[in-house]
Amino acid sequence: MARAATTSDVFNAIAEPQRRELLVLLRAGEQPVTELAQELGMTQPGASKHLRVLREVGLVRDRKAGKRRLYCLDARGLRTIHEWTGGFEQFWNESLDRLDAYAQELKQESKRSG
Amino acid sequence: MISRVIDAPRELVFEAFTQVRHLSRWWGPEGFTTTTLGFEFRVGGEWDFVMHGPDGTDYPEWITWTELIPPERIKFLHGEYRDDPDAFESVLTFESVGAATRIEMRTVFATKELRDEAVEKYHAVEGGQQTLSNLAVYVTALVRNGAEG
Repeated sequence: MARAATTSDVFNAIAEPQRRELLVLLRAGEQPVTELAQELGMTQPGASKHLRVLREVGLVRDRKAGKRRLYCLDARGLRTIHEWTGGFEQFWNESLDRLDAYAQELKQESKRSG
Repeated sequence: MISRVIDAPRELVFEAFTQVRHLSRWWGPEGFTTTTLGFEFRVGGEWDFVMHGPDGTDYPEWITWTELIPPERIKFLHGEYRDDPDAFESVLTFESVGAATRIEMRTVFATKELRDEAVEKYHAVEGGQQTLSNLAVYVTALVRNGAEG
């Protein structure tokens, strides 16, 4: 079983609905635990416990800002989920859409300068 | 394998892969931006950059080119940091189709183990360490399924 334990842990971590809600809230950007707890109608220790689990699997990061601790999404765990949901193809399909649009711009430019 | 026909000549499409000022205009999904820390377009050269998701998440990225045949082929290793053991190799080919260009992309996993793992666990035909916080879609679906189930 060549399988990084953390990978399965990411999915275990988001099997919990309240943890998923925390992740959705963090999509808006960095937030302290007090606000997250309030938003979800949870106790602060409850929210902290969930955030610790999410941090351990690499889905959130935290940093100290004065007296407060701020949480934000972490790319490490998100990558795992993203890969699993077929993110690779979506990444390239969307990139190539943008490349197509950009190539049209370049074409116009070369016409003008040529 | 991902394939796309772009309505522009091959030299021009290839050019868009060779300089940061071009790459930063289209690399990544809608809403993503890149900050380049280092860029050298040659075999053995590296592109060290950070992708910024629309939600503010930063994704460190690292690319090194392993083969360059202008204007028809680019082979590169893509990981999260220099010499990332999970970096995987992608091959892009550029083919003229009249006045347009067909881009084809294939990905090779770093190790057979990684690929087998992806195929087994994720039923992925292709995969890799590509990034994007597609969490909302996934979470929404999970929540919805959870609500129904």
